[in-house]
Amino acid sequence: MIAQSLRQVAARATIGVVAFLVVVPVLWTLLSAFKHTVDIETSPPLLLFKPTLENFLYVVERASVRGALLNSIIISSSSVLIGAVLGLPCAYAVARYPTRHAADIQFFVLSLRFLPPIAVALPLMVIWLDAGLYDTRIAMIVTYTLFTLSITIWLAIPAFKRVPREIEEAAFVDGYGAYAIFFLVALPVAAKSLIGAIVFSFVLVWNEFLIALMLTTSDAKTLPIVASELSQLGFDVPWGILNASVIVLALPPLMFLGVLSGFLNSFVKRKV
Amino acid sequence: MTAGGAEAFPLRWVSCASVRAGILLGNSFGLKAVAVKTGTRLPIVFVIPSMVVLGVLALVPTIDAVNIALQNRELSNPESHYVWLANFISLFGDRRFLNAMWVSLEWEIITVSATMIVAVPLAVLLFEAITPRARNALCVLFIVPVLLPRVSAAYVWKFAFHPLYGLAAYPLKIIFGRPVDLLSDPHTAMATVAIVDVWQWALLFSVIIVKLFETLPRQPLEAARLDNARTWEVYLFVAIPMLRAPLISLIFVKMVESLRAFDLIYVMTRGGPGVATETLDMYAYSQGFIESGRISYASSMAVLMMVATSIAFTVIWKCAR
Repeated sequence: MIAQSLRQVAARATIGVVAFLVVVPVLWTLLSAFKHTVDIETSPPLLLFKPTLENFLYVVERASVRGALLNSIIISSSSVLIGAVLGLPCAYAVARYPTRHAADIQFFVLSLRFLPPIAVALPLMVIWLDAGLYDTRIAMIVTYTLFTLSITIWLAIPAFKRVPREIEEAAFVDGYGAYAIFFLVALPVAAKSLIGAIVFSFVLVWNEFLIALMLTTSDAKTLPIVASELSQLGFDVPWGILNASVIVLALPPLMFLGVLSGFLNSFVKRKV
Repeated sequence: MTAGGAEAFPLRWVSCASVRAGILLGNSFGLKAVAVKTGTRLPIVFVIPSMVVLGVLALVPTIDAVNIALQNRELSNPESHYVWLANFISLFGDRRFLNAMWVSLEWEIITVSATMIVAVPLAVLLFEAITPRARNALCVLFIVPVLLPRVSAAYVWKFAFHPLYGLAAYPLKIIFGRPVDLLSDPHTAMATVAIVDVWQWALLFSVIIVKLFETLPRQPLEAARLDNARTWEVYLFVAIPMLRAPLISLIFVKMVESLRAFDLIYVMTRGGPGVATETLDMYAYSQGFIESGRISYASSMAVLMMVATSIAFTVIWKCAR
């Protein structure tokens, strides 16, 4: 009995340590984003300090950050939108009209994820340079559509398969055409999972780094690139500013924590 | 691409069967469900545009990568001609390339195995030791790291490992009596960056595995317990074998995702110190972009990576099914 409760305590302590390891580095970054440089550059690390908004103000007032934020929003949302508009119908057709090719299509879509990003970025750099579109939002949107479209299809197929077939058949009996069934029945019924899939594709391209790094130099830079460049201000790393930019960059994905957690639940639960 | 793979193929058969069942059922009720499947060009209208877009977006760069790799193109020099396999031949005499290949392989092995070694026991603990409510709350918390942009995650930890004022480096400083810079020591740099990768992925995987445990039928586990199996035996010999397919899919996903470590390494070490953490994409990037603009040479590396990963992943994917 004692041994068992001892094990229980040890197990809980381990979980506690892991939770600590998740929360503390992020929280510390958040705290340090409100610190003056003198309060950051002290040892031992300082827990009580006079907070300042200087770092955040510096970050959001910088023209490069504002431009990058706008670029990131336009590029991510456009490519996500295109991915959804093209990808959801495709996923529905694959899920509902199984042909010999359904498996091939799924494998093709999955195999796009095997491509090393550098193998996509290098030739695209040349292609966009030759086309005169290098460092433009259009080039970034088109490039990112490769990722949003494939991931949307991949995640939306199971979501459409989960729509009870009886509902669609009932709609058919009521005189709905194939397209009406898709738009008026399947889409609304599967909406919750589909939103999860779309949000996932958004997070993917919002966080993307290597391709943006190689395909932009000034005009179309996205937020991760500009955030990574802030460490090169002056000769010393301005950790307060950097931490503030890290937080700003991470906010959009974290806003969707709830949606994605629910999506993960339904995705795993259905499987077994 | 989370647990994406696990269901596709078995489910395909299930859905094929259910289509047939549906057709039979539909006919017997006079619903003519067949017409839903055949009397429309919807599949063509819906599938073709996506496939064309994906095909163009994937094939054009891929073919062009091969094309560029066969030339001697440089960013600074508009003139170029075909040198065929010369780039590939010189790659294998390039010690920095061989080093990068080794580093990539090492990175792949370390991060994939460490992720699974942390994720599975952690999932068991989460499933066994705490209440469902606490578990659900932790499951939300544990996907925070993987949602962070890698640039953010890299800076969070680079800051924590800062030798002078980093939170994680502070205890080391006390123990060793001097500042310890883990990221600029060639012996520890790779492991330190790998910690961040595992921090992001192992926690996500533990959440997924817990959810998988929750879906397991209780009887086999209880039967094992009645036979006096210890907790770890129950999991090692009963629960984990039952989840073999999804766990293999998770390993597969991690293998694919581990190849995308560029941002982490770029922010934390830039491939350094020296070439200690210089992976293939890092080296290709610096050859093609930073140091010399040797696009063709970099492309030949990218093509090799592409071929190697495509073959490896296709074989693994087909075999694992």
